[in-house]
Amino acid sequence: MEAIIPKVPEVLVALASFIVLFVLLSKFAFPPVTTMLDGRAEKIRESLEKAEETRIEAERLLEEYRVQMAEARSEATKIIEQGRTVAENMKNEILAKAREEAEAEKLKAVEAIQAEKVAAMSELQASVANLSVAVAGKILGQKLTAADHAALIERSIAEVGSLHEE
Amino acid sequence: MDNMGKMVEELLHELSVQPLFSKHIGTFTLTNYSFFLLIAFVLTVVFFLVGSRRLSLVPKGIGNVVEWAVSFVRDGLCIDMLGSEDGRKYFPFVGTIFFFVLFNDVLGLIPGAKPGTGTLGTTFTWGAIVFLVYNGIGIKKSGFVRYIKSFVPSGTPVVLMPLMFLLEIVSHFLRPLTLGIRLYANMYAGHIMLGIFAILVTISLESLSVGSAVTGGLAFVMHVIMYGFEFFVAGLQAYIFSILTTVYINGALHATEH
Repeated sequence: MEAIIPKVPEVLVALASFIVLFVLLSKFAFPPVTTMLDGRAEKIRESLEKAEETRIEAERLLEEYRVQMAEARSEATKIIEQGRTVAENMKNEILAKAREEAEAEKLKAVEAIQAEKVAAMSELQASVANLSVAVAGKILGQKLTAADHAALIERSIAEVGSLHEE
Repeated sequence: MDNMGKMVEELLHELSVQPLFSKHIGTFTLTNYSFFLLIAFVLTVVFFLVGSRRLSLVPKGIGNVVEWAVSFVRDGLCIDMLGSEDGRKYFPFVGTIFFFVLFNDVLGLIPGAKPGTGTLGTTFTWGAIVFLVYNGIGIKKSGFVRYIKSFVPSGTPVVLMPLMFLLEIVSHFLRPLTLGIRLYANMYAGHIMLGIFAILVTISLESLSVGSAVTGGLAFVMHVIMYGFEFFVAGLQAYIFSILTTVYINGALHATEH
């Protein structure tokens, strides 16, 4: 029975050592540790918050860039399309103009050729007539009257004309 | 067999409270348990004072161990049970209990040493401190009359009120006793067990026979296993003492809420 009855000196030592230890630990040991733990927890919390903010900002920027890229792509497509249309129109205009000019040149050339032809034919007719008269005079060895002369010319012209038509 | 009885007797004598430097225990006599209690006190102070001065943002070494230990008690015990504000407020008290009990329990496992918690004088005293502190907290929080009234739950029939009050009073007074006896009994029984197995090994070595070799071998294995188990018990008892203290404080803080 005596063994389980608390001894006074043990009670005193346990009491005193507990109180002194409590004072020492709560004044000098625990505060720096708890401050460090709280400081680290705060730092981790801040870092996590900052990381989250940065992630949100990065996502926002990425979305913004995506929109800008899509806009730029659509704008580029529009510009290319416009350029193609403008080029097509220009090409058509140039071709039409060239065709018109070529047509005009051709017409002008045909007209010139036609005029040249008419002039050449007239000249040829006159030459043939004179030549025919001269040849006929020589062949016949006689002088033709004015009336014979005229009739001969008429006949030659008609013959030359028929030759040309053939 | 007589030999064994003598050795057990010696073991019990060894584990009893004895004066260290005198023949009789007086008011201020230093006993064997108190001596080791003071050594545990010094070790606890040195460990925490050194550890708390080697803290760094990236924890390492002894600072890391101190931080882990403090975080275990403060966050895992006090704040979890009492909430952030009260947990931080009462952590120094609960922490002192936990670490002092733990250092004493572990110190007692060093061969030749004794746990300061292996005597009722120490454990009852700390139980009484817990009793005074948690009741003080309750009285400070709710006022003496309201706190005492809270011993009888609201809605109790008038006839049962005296009985309920009495039961509650008894239950409160039993708390420091159970705290003290539980810790003391675990430490004392653990050391008796280790001592018994050590005696068995010693006796087996004295007589050279197959039977005694087997007995001695088994006793040795059991001794090693029990020695490891006692480390677990040391931590567990510190945890139980602290968690019960926290539960009592929590009860006192919210005594008038039901």
